[in-house]
Amino acid sequence: MNTKISAYAHPEVLVDADWLLEHLNDPNVRVVESNEDLLLYDMGHIPGAVHIDWRRDLNDQTVRDYVGPEGFAALCERNGIGPETTVVFYGDKSNWWACYAFWVFQLFGHDKAKVLDGGRDKWEEEGRPLTREVVAYPAVTYPVPAGRNDAAHRAYFQQALEHMQAGKKMVDVRSPKEFSGETTHMPEYPQEGVLRGGHIPGAKSCPWARAANADKTFKTREELEAIYAGELGLNVEDDIVAYCRIGERSSHTWFVLKYLLGYKQVRNYDGSWTEWGNMVRSPIEKSL
Amino acid sequence: MAYPAPLQELIELFEYLPEAERRESLINYADASKSCGPKEGEVFDLEDVRKDEECTDTVGVFLRAEEGDRAHFAIELGPKVQTLTKAMTAILCRSLNGAPMKEVLEVPADFVPRIIGAELVRLRSQTVYYVLSRMKTAVKMLLDRRRAAEGGG
Repeated sequence: MNTKISAYAHPEVLVDADWLLEHLNDPNVRVVESNEDLLLYDMGHIPGAVHIDWRRDLNDQTVRDYVGPEGFAALCERNGIGPETTVVFYGDKSNWWACYAFWVFQLFGHDKAKVLDGGRDKWEEEGRPLTREVVAYPAVTYPVPAGRNDAAHRAYFQQALEHMQAGKKMVDVRSPKEFSGETTHMPEYPQEGVLRGGHIPGAKSCPWARAANADKTFKTREELEAIYAGELGLNVEDDIVAYCRIGERSSHTWFVLKYLLGYKQVRNYDGSWTEWGNMVRSPIEKSL
Repeated sequence: MAYPAPLQELIELFEYLPEAERRESLINYADASKSCGPKEGEVFDLEDVRKDEECTDTVGVFLRAEEGDRAHFAIELGPKVQTLTKAMTAILCRSLNGAPMKEVLEVPADFVPRIIGAELVRLRSQTVYYVLSRMKTAVKMLLDRRRAAEGGG
């Protein structure tokens, strides 16, 4: 394990490319690519990796929610993931969707999970192997989890509202212009149906990208502590909610706070701004 | 309005393809986008290279009028452009090159979901529409420039 990774609060959840290369043929490891670019996996992926698409595979196809325990078990089974399989997530966009998929796996208690530091971009940049060959793994049995543990990892609107009313710590990880209310979409993206701009009153702005280096790897523990403890004043025992617009950027920050820095109570408010900014009479603060 | 014939043929082809083959075709078109850029020594009447807010990377549109009013496009994409947008670029270059410029201006964008299929139509893949709009903008700029030159002459 490299010294940067070993310094994190939970170094077991992060691997570097060398580690992954050594484990590509390990039958107890399944590599999962999760992207925003819908066809990127088809253009080439890490040998042996399977593709889990956030919308098709992790979301319920009717209600704005996630798959239930049966759906999760079926997803694992068709990707050759058993309850003892170590799943290594990676993807585009600095691992936004990899962290999102990791987060969904935690809702079902699959804690044998890791993220590839630097994600797809760094792997490609370093000229490491990619293939278009899709491996079909034999189906395995994944016992249906007893339930989905939303309470530990996820905040719903009402909980986010009560969190705000209690004056507890809330981190808005969107871009500064989204936070201020100047725009309702992030740079280079379409508007995703938000009626109001601004942020949840009391939330502190800390764009997700501050936790990442230019090569998409996570910053060191020391650098991250300077941001989240030093600048934002977050304490390890604080009850913290992170949000963005639909929950993928805040999954990245959730991962940083909970696993890299060891904050004890961190939840991702996945309804995020597309829920809060549309909810009738939800309080909004602007900072234009 | 009717689509230019080569585009109409491609739409019909994609509509008949099963999902797996449709994806494979889109991947092939995305690969082909690498050869859509201007060739060495090629001369164009208009070059419009820019990074817009709504796209993840720089897109260069190069346009030359052939046989009076027929459009010939070359398009260069930055590496961060999404795969679907790359595919759409190759599809549009293949199907609109040689079309009268007036016809390019009138191509409706409603063919996009018919090509990429329902599963790939998402809010965040809206940049597939971006390339067509940039091609139309280039045509309009070239026609405006011509009109201005004629008026000034």
